[in-house]
Amino acid sequence: MTNQDFSKKFIFNEKIDSEYLFSMYADDYAYMEEIFATTLEHYDEDVEALKAAFEAGNLQDLKRAAHKMKPTFGFVGLTSIQEQVKKFEDLCQNVQDTDYLKDDFKQIVTTLAECKDLIASEYQKLKAFNANPV
Amino acid sequence: MSWSAVIVEDLQVAADYLAKCCEKSGQVEVKAHFTNVAEALDYLNKNSVDILFLDVEMPGANGFELLDQLAYYPKVFLTTSKQEYAYDAFEYNVTDFLKKPFTYQRFIDALNKLTTAGGDNNISSTASDHIFIKSDGKLVRLNNDDVLFIESMGDYVKFVTADKKYITHNTIKNLEEKVNRNHFIKVHRSYIINITKIDDIRENDLFIKGHEIPVSKSHKAEVLKRLNII
Repeated sequence: MTNQDFSKKFIFNEKIDSEYLFSMYADDYAYMEEIFATTLEHYDEDVEALKAAFEAGNLQDLKRAAHKMKPTFGFVGLTSIQEQVKKFEDLCQNVQDTDYLKDDFKQIVTTLAECKDLIASEYQKLKAFNANPV
Repeated sequence: MSWSAVIVEDLQVAADYLAKCCEKSGQVEVKAHFTNVAEALDYLNKNSVDILFLDVEMPGANGFELLDQLAYYPKVFLTTSKQEYAYDAFEYNVTDFLKKPFTYQRFIDALNKLTTAGGDNNISSTASDHIFIKSDGKLVRLNNDDVLFIESMGDYVKFVTADKKYITHNTIKNLEEKVNRNHFIKVHRSYIINITKIDDIRENDLFIKGHEIPVSKSHKAEVLKRLNII
């Protein structure tokens, strides 16, 4: 978490904006591991809140759940997903009913599931890296 | 550590990151973290802190509603992922607006605003010529010159002016640090007075516009030192 030169030994998945992560955490890989772990710990709960709101047809809660989850992706370097969730949040703002969001919701849920796998995989890689740094 | 802080944030990873930034800076000590406004408000109205890192959208009441109900104003950093709140942030005179997630450098830049005149949003500032208090659900501006004295009423304090009294949730201890020390001085555990309003002083009391105010032994020397005694 400094601006000094630091090691970028860890190679992130190409979908992750590693430069963005380094701008936040520098080469504090142990802390990155913590961030990924915390994200995973709360991930299902946040996705469930999103699903529950959609199933209940509660547009306000759906928007709120998307809003809450949105920055999560930034913290793990998935900036494009953060943008995608923002678009979904904006859609919630612009429709009158969750019925209008069926396709978008389906898409976002699929994306979120893929992201969870990716975050979990990067977490395992970070954990292994921190256990045996090069 | 220079400043005490409270984090009000419902996203755990964001709260953790913010706490880490505070720790890393060596300038901010995080006293507590809350995930909702109600609990934060309860804590903040009993404990004075310098900085409030405040998310806007949370379950239940939002961050601005917390500010509406707070009995005093710490320096406020809004932490949100929504740029649209920038206007409200301006309206609430917050010190800075941190769009989540932010870099550590951005966090440090925000902290630096605390030490610059432009970033001083503490409307209860010790350097200010006025104070804002929460009374009857609104923010009331009181010019230092208009306040005669402030009296403790347990968990509340009473601001007394020549023609009105305002009661707000606060403590003398907290206000002692917040009011302009050029104007105000603590004379008793239950009283802060406007030094320019004293009409006369007797053995253990002073009088301001007919109000008799006790002066404790421990404060009397300091009070006398501040008076222009010929």
